[in-house]
Amino acid sequence: MGSQFVDFNGDGHTDVLAATFDGSPHIMYGSAEGYGKPEHVMDAAGKRVLISSFWNYEDRAHQETGRSLGMDNPPKERCISALAFDWDNDGDLDLLLGSYENGHLYRQMNEGTNEKPAFTGKNIPIMAGDTPFAIKEKMTAPRLVDWDGDGDQDIIAGSFGDTYRDGPGGGVFLSINTGKIGKPSFGNLQVLIPRSKKGQASPTRPDAGLYVDATDHDGDGDLDLIVGGYSMWTPPARKLTAKEEARLSTLRDELAAIQKSQREFFKVVNDEVTASTKGMDRKSDAARAKATEIRKKYAQKRRKISKQSSQLNDEINALVPKPQRKPFVWLYERQ
Amino acid sequence: MRTRIMGLFTLASMAWASLLVPAMGQSSGPEFAAPQRLKAGDAYLGARRLYPSPVIQDVDGDGVGDVVIGDLMGKLTYANREIGDEGVTGFGRERPLKDRAGEGVKFHNW
Repeated sequence: MGSQFVDFNGDGHTDVLAATFDGSPHIMYGSAEGYGKPEHVMDAAGKRVLISSFWNYEDRAHQETGRSLGMDNPPKERCISALAFDWDNDGDLDLLLGSYENGHLYRQMNEGTNEKPAFTGKNIPIMAGDTPFAIKEKMTAPRLVDWDGDGDQDIIAGSFGDTYRDGPGGGVFLSINTGKIGKPSFGNLQVLIPRSKKGQASPTRPDAGLYVDATDHDGDGDLDLIVGGYSMWTPPARKLTAKEEARLSTLRDELAAIQKSQREFFKVVNDEVTASTKGMDRKSDAARAKATEIRKKYAQKRRKISKQSSQLNDEINALVPKPQRKPFVWLYERQ
Repeated sequence: MRTRIMGLFTLASMAWASLLVPAMGQSSGPEFAAPQRLKAGDAYLGARRLYPSPVIQDVDGDGVGDVVIGDLMGKLTYANREIGDEGVTGFGRERPLKDRAGEGVKFHNW
């Protein structure tokens, strides 16, 4: 979830705009007393601002609508990033909406004011050069920043890449604004941080899920990058002694036994949930409450099994390192 | 900008690189030092968060940008940039950003 600190309603207090995986931007208004509770940003028709895919809280389901793209069968694109930006320099903030799938960027214009916004509900693709802005390996969140120091806002954005396996990782990209204030025009995407090839023996960089911001971190007059993301690496293995080999064999047997009992345990729990909610709407509050009640009954045993499994894994990993995946925030200091 | 002495090797590399056509997928922008993991107090910034998303924002109003970290679950935390005798240094420990009710900020996810 990328976030933007901005005076969204023009009352002199900083608000926070963010979009989550529910597919819509949210706004948390600030005041002299502090922040209120986040709420969805709505369009002029009173509908949630979105791209196409969204989580329907009433139906408790992921759904699609083509209403904002003007299509009957829209591509599945979930809005997971949002920025407020006065695109046409008319004094009110419009919206930039970023999609997870395809990494597209859209603008939705505000035909009202900051105090009384009237977002059109219609998304217009933003171009990067002659083609639609697109980060195909899935975009995290774009940021607006005057990267080239010419007084207008450029776009930097990170990509997810393959966040779990060995496929190419994420990178960070730049699109320079070559237009004018009130008539931005973004250029072809350039690489700021190349996509990760992974395969390191220690954490050396963010490899996947790169969220970026730019700031002059070291005060030397140029913009550095602050990048959150997962590092994925595999520590080097070492030759084990005969005693360690024997211990490893024992640990693996014990882990296999624990995993077997874990599967049996989950089957018992799930069977009980299924039997207890038979005939009920699985998505109903009553069914969910029943399932929670049953799972709570078994929580202590679940924790015990999980702890045993975790301890065995820790000891095995100390002997035979396995791939690591951990989140950090990194500084890329510009030279 | 840090002064950098370019040797013959670097000049040769630049000449060769200038023959390449920049395109997405190639590194065509500025050069960065090897990335460094940032810390908040004694812990790594963003550790144990799902998809940490940093944003620089002056949270405490001291004129210096602090770092705010969002995550997949919709939570926001922040770490103040510390100012010591020698100027701006690292970040203090990470703590939840709170709303006016004193509760940790949480954006709705599905």
